[in-house]
Amino acid sequence: MSLRIGIREGVRTITRNASLFIMSLLVTSISLFLLSLFAFVTVNLYHFLNILDEKIEIIAFLEQNADYEALESNIMKINGVRDVIYVSSAQALKDLQAELKETEEVLRVFESNPLPASLRIKLLAKFRNARGLEEISDKVMLLRGIRETIYGGELVDQLKKITGVITTFDIALLLIIIFSVVFVIFQTIKLTIFARATEIDIMRLVGASNTFIAIPFTFEGITQGIMGGFIAFVLTVITKRVAVSFLSDIYFPQGYFFLGSILCGIIFGIIGSSLALRRFLK
Amino acid sequence: MITFDNVTKVYQKDWVALQDISFFIEKGEFVFINGKTGAGKSTLLKMIYKDEEPTKGTIKVLDQNLRLLKKKNIPKLRRKIGVIFQDFKLLQDRTLEENVAFALEVTNTQPRDLRKQMLEILTYLRLSHKKFSFPYQLSGGEQQKVAIARALVRDPYILLADEPTGNLDEKSSQEIIDVLLDINYKGTTVLMATHNLKLIRKVKKRMLRIEDGKLASDE
Repeated sequence: MSLRIGIREGVRTITRNASLFIMSLLVTSISLFLLSLFAFVTVNLYHFLNILDEKIEIIAFLEQNADYEALESNIMKINGVRDVIYVSSAQALKDLQAELKETEEVLRVFESNPLPASLRIKLLAKFRNARGLEEISDKVMLLRGIRETIYGGELVDQLKKITGVITTFDIALLLIIIFSVVFVIFQTIKLTIFARATEIDIMRLVGASNTFIAIPFTFEGITQGIMGGFIAFVLTVITKRVAVSFLSDIYFPQGYFFLGSILCGIIFGIIGSSLALRRFLK
Repeated sequence: MITFDNVTKVYQKDWVALQDISFFIEKGEFVFINGKTGAGKSTLLKMIYKDEEPTKGTIKVLDQNLRLLKKKNIPKLRRKIGVIFQDFKLLQDRTLEENVAFALEVTNTQPRDLRKQMLEILTYLRLSHKKFSFPYQLSGGEQQKVAIARALVRDPYILLADEPTGNLDEKSSQEIIDVLLDINYKGTTVLMATHNLKLIRKVKKRMLRIEDGKLASDE
């Protein structure tokens, strides 16, 4: 009963104060769009860093006629190794040819294939640093049939440091943006609630419970959040389409962005309206 | 029905609105609260429906010590008290009928009871023929009657009127006073705050006079 009346009151206030609602919706949409845009940049940044991280590996060159299958299974037993991929001498040449398409003649200098067979050793995430690489590389070197190993070493640690700084900066910025978005949404909702101070006053006066008074405003906050979230999502999709024409490798998990925008809208709408209502419901 | 025992209200910056106020109002009484603007009349009324807390002292309303009344039970207290104001506090975007129904709906009254109660009160105040009018289509006196209808529709034990005739001409003021007297005659305790001594003298009811936040007389 009270929920039905509360929602009816919510719909009524939205339709009777349409211009105020639209203004408030606009501010909410833009705020959520900013947040979504930041999330979009962040997701792509992490995606890129992840790709870089995945590329950290040890390449172990094999001696001629080494038993690569035995080596493969021995290396797999080393703590920190996730995967071992065998690259035959012929495959290595093929890869190189693909990479040096335009300077293919260079390879013709050699009469036979000069490239040795190798094992590409992929590591677990926590071993992808200078120490982990060195430790595993040393263990691999002890195995019979390994001629040499190469890995990034200090370069990897540099990369990790840069990643760390970017991540910290990103989280700080995210917090600032979330705070600003909640603040802006809260201020806007407060304006719309202030416009209906008499209504709240009367409800309190005639003995409506605080929960009842909050229903129409929370309903309005949620409606605004859902609509604002949806508009923000559409704007982000448009931005993504524009970005794709400049950058080829764009990561955009559409489903998550849709859900995220709507959920953020709902949560901020609820938080905003309850914060704004608090001063009326003493 | 209403007891004030050494009630003091101090606002911020040590501004004393009321000081050591004590009185007792019996069930069915009609009492004027008189004093100049800013004397503390509104504060006194607000403390009765717990919109303001006393800084010191005890207030009992309908056998309840308001200091001990839990926050969640305040709405229940307010449902037993009707309040009207000088500025009517009507919702301008709703008809007369909707304004009155609003008070019932927000307190979860069943639709069938709602119609019955509303019809009764509108007939009593001779407003039924205007039930589809908006507040701005009504005279000041009529708007105050709508506010009274809204306050009375839940059949309260106490009716608090804060300068209800402040915005009205003499004829409309008299009409409102007559309505309040009739309501009181039917058993509702009425407390009316007003600065208008002429009006009080005409009615001849008990008067609590407040001067500079203190109870100056009770006659």
